[in-house]
Amino acid sequence: MGQLTTGERDFGAIILIVLAIIGIAMAAAGRSDVLGIHGAMVLVYCLALLFLLLSGAFGTPPSAARLTRYYDDPIKVGVGLTLFWAIFGMFIGVWAAAQLAWPSLNFDTSWASFGRIRPAHTSGVIFGFGGNALITTSFHVVQRTSRARLADQLSPWFVLLGFNLFCLIAISGYFLGVTQSKEYAEAEWYADIWLVIVWVTYFVLYVRTLARRKEPHIYVANWYYMAFIIVVAILHIVNNLAVPLSFAHAKSYTIWAGVQDSMVQWWYGHNAVAFFLTAGFLAMLYYYLPKRAERPIFSYRLSILSFWGITFFYMWAGSHHLHYTALPHWVQNLGMTFSVMLLVPSWASAGNALLTLNGAWHKVRDDATLRFMMMAAFFYGLSTFEGSFMAIRPVNALSHYTDWTVGHVHAGALGWVAMITFGSLYTLVPAIWKRERMHSAILVEVHFWLALAGTLIYVFAMWNSGIIQGLMWRTYSPDNTLVYSFVDTLLAMYPYYIARAFGGLLFLIGAIVAAYNIWMTVRTPAAATLALDDDSPGDERQISGATPTPAE
Amino acid sequence: MPELMHRKLERSATGFMLAIIAAASVGGIVEIAPLFTIDDTVETVSDMRLYTPLELAGRDIYVREGCYACHSQMIRTLRDEVERYGPYSLAVESKYDHPMLWGSKRTGPDLARIGGKYSDFWHVAHLNNPRDVVPESNMPSYRWLGTNPLKLADLPLALRAQRAVGVPYTDEMIENAARDAYGQAVPDSEQSSGVTERYGEATQVSAFDGVTTNVTEMDALVAYLQVLGQLTRAAYENTAAPEQMPDPDN
Amino acid sequence: MALTHETLLEGAKLWGLFYLMGFSICVLIYTFLPSNRERFERAEREIFDEDDGPWK
Ligand code: HEC
Ligand code: HEM
Ligand code: HEM
Repeated sequence: MGQLTTGERDFGAIILIVLAIIGIAMAAAGRSDVLGIHGAMVLVYCLALLFLLLSGAFGTPPSAARLTRYYDDPIKVGVGLTLFWAIFGMFIGVWAAAQLAWPSLNFDTSWASFGRIRPAHTSGVIFGFGGNALITTSFHVVQRTSRARLADQLSPWFVLLGFNLFCLIAISGYFLGVTQSKEYAEAEWYADIWLVIVWVTYFVLYVRTLARRKEPHIYVANWYYMAFIIVVAILHIVNNLAVPLSFAHAKSYTIWAGVQDSMVQWWYGHNAVAFFLTAGFLAMLYYYLPKRAERPIFSYRLSILSFWGITFFYMWAGSHHLHYTALPHWVQNLGMTFSVMLLVPSWASAGNALLTLNGAWHKVRDDATLRFMMMAAFFYGLSTFEGSFMAIRPVNALSHYTDWTVGHVHAGALGWVAMITFGSLYTLVPAIWKRERMHSAILVEVHFWLALAGTLIYVFAMWNSGIIQGLMWRTYSPDNTLVYSFVDTLLAMYPYYIARAFGGLLFLIGAIVAAYNIWMTVRTPAAATLALDDDSPGDERQISGATPTPAE
Repeated sequence: MPELMHRKLERSATGFMLAIIAAASVGGIVEIAPLFTIDDTVETVSDMRLYTPLELAGRDIYVREGCYACHSQMIRTLRDEVERYGPYSLAVESKYDHPMLWGSKRTGPDLARIGGKYSDFWHVAHLNNPRDVVPESNMPSYRWLGTNPLKLADLPLALRAQRAVGVPYTDEMIENAARDAYGQAVPDSEQSSGVTERYGEATQVSAFDGVTTNVTEMDALVAYLQVLGQLTRAAYENTAAPEQMPDPDN
Repeated sequence: MALTHETLLEGAKLWGLFYLMGFSICVLIYTFLPSNRERFERAEREIFDEDDGPWK
């Protein structure tokens, strides 16, 4: 925040004060309802930020020279937040995994029981880790590819810190039992409204920055970020329409019912996968992979074709989550058809990435960062193939409701989403902090192998357990009766649940190693480069203060 | 010149934005819009009743505790599911469900037709500690439900919000929500007759958690579990064979 | 004419199909339009230009 002008500081302070007042109002109206607790949290959050903002207010005003440089301060804080949520979300994931193997690990407390921590895991990794990674990298990519500084200095902070307030409210709510129960949209109405405000600001900031660009053509990575921002807004608003009990209650009821609700939910759910977990991360792929490999993307045209393919086809595919249910048959078939068609643009993207590396394999061999991205493209290809396969009705008859789905999810989440993110972070961090390289190449190497081993153990365990359970559920004896009781099939799962928790633990350790390595990279100044940067005196102090340490 | 250039740049960003919206919105519209006229073709079920206030409160606890993370409430049209859990689920059965709780993962068994399968006593024991009843279970224990009093005062608001999203609760039902919840969990109290009057003779009035001195969250949750699959008989009367859809075209 | 389920269904399916075809054609034209070629080739390499600062 060291570069904020007086005007921006004042405006920021006004926003924070207004929010703090809203927090007080929520606390007063909600009282013992969770809404009241959340009001208090909003208040504390705003006051803390207000303190940070004002404590820098009396330093030297920023010089105009800052405008000749990119605005990277929010990116630096964003990297720290991404790592914090990564470790938090994955820790909860390992805990949830362990509870399925050893149910007493919730210590008989309500807030730690499986049904409550599961959404804390999914939101923690998808929104906390994934969302922060997307916002952070998008600020970097849009500036570099447009050769334009972010359109202003206040709204990036508003977007980043506002989004993290959303994550905080949402996830603390799940522990306290506040949830809409819609997968990946569990946050209640007031958090949802807040996210809309943040998201609109994000959109406006992004478009204004693009409008300052140098070239008439918008680089393809920005297309994916734009699709991510726009479509997530549409999905979020439609799926979260709800009526609260009153303005003093956290609880609300969705306006959708039954079959319609199921279709709206999975139209949302599947496209959250598409535009949150795919489009945004493809944007990272299209910028950081060529950058790191120092080779242009294999085919730019192919990337355009696959962009429109993905944007168009994905929206039809949601009904493959509802095969053989009470959803009308034709919608199921339409979803299946489009899911299979979706394989074409998906593999075009994966192939485009891998072919970009063709001729640079020696770099892939020597550079673990590039290997992260290569593996990500590979797992992207794998999980989209698997997804299209699982969307075929008879296959889904077996896979649905089982751990096979969970295996598919984590092939995508660990292998694709997390690996491309770490690859991008390892490219971004030295660039932003103007270091020649990461603190330790060996630790990157260690992280790579931990991540790969963790993913493989996780995914293979879940494939096994899912297929075994699916088959056991439908096994008939010769006299045409079901052979296995439900509990028989549950017993068969335990070894795999233990293996999964172990694989997840490896992955988590990898993330901790990454956080340490990044922390050390930031902390050890690269001899000369930093000293020259003296136009923003608050800058250095700000970085060390605002980036969470791995231990946090 | 720079001015003109600038405008052109902005225009292309806007056009691009509209193209994204155009590409992304069709799929949803085509698939979702026709679902809103589906009532035209689905047979109307005359015996479908509403959740009582106590059952609705139980449903909210089911949501709060995240039971849906491990349990589905949607029996698919597959033979083994029908034989394991009962007649496959029909669209009408979740007609009043805001939100639906079909679920996506069966760590535990499907619950769409759990109502009536076990006694209240079994459910209470099971929820207090599943491993007392099923030693192999990995379901969490929910001991706190039996001691948490149910917030009766919020029930009229809950019913009103349900009505706002389309569930046909009457003014009378809303007014009496707290009394009805109490009456359903305390048989032979003066409030109990009103429940069957308003919600039908089939409504179960019972001391769900075995204690009649107060109404707890356990009462509500067990009342909800016992009504799952019991709101209408339609699914039991539906004669279409599994693995074959009711009507391929709607 | 009242909006029945059948008509809405037919409409949605037909319209969806035409939309799909029309959209694909537009995308193909955009991608392979010869006059766009130069832009795309420029974009492909542009990210490697090293001038670490905004252009204006
Ligand atoms: C960790 C996943 C998990 C969660 C969360 C969970 N359950 Fe279960 N549930 C199971 C498993 C596994 C079984 C099968 C073993 C058993 O009967 O305990 C089961 C069985 C049941 C049964 C008996 C079903 C039958 O047909 O025998 C009921 C009823 C039930 N659960 C209700 C609930 C309710 C209500 C909640 C929320 C308060 C809940 N469950 C939360 C895993 C879970
Ligand atoms: C340390 C690594 C991780 C572990 C141990 C882990 C563990 C788990 C567990 C135990 C579940 C619940 C599965 C069930 O209900 O049976 C789950 C679900 C889920 N996780 Fe993870 N997870 C990890 C990392 C991630 C990451 C990085 C992401 C996303 C970027 C992710 C996304 C999800 C999603 C979307 C679900 C819901 C799946 C579904 O509904 O089918 N996880 N995870
Ligand atoms: C062509 C691309 C893809 C297709 C067609 C596809 C298809 C599917 C199918 C059929 C299911 C199972 C639904 C069910 O039975 O309940 C599923 C679940 C899921 N997929 Fe994919 N998938 C694709 C790519 C991905 C990717 C890249 C990710 C990234 C992480 C992903 C994340 C998920 C998640 C989170 C779920 C679980 C939803 C839930 O039940 O909670 N998918 N997908």
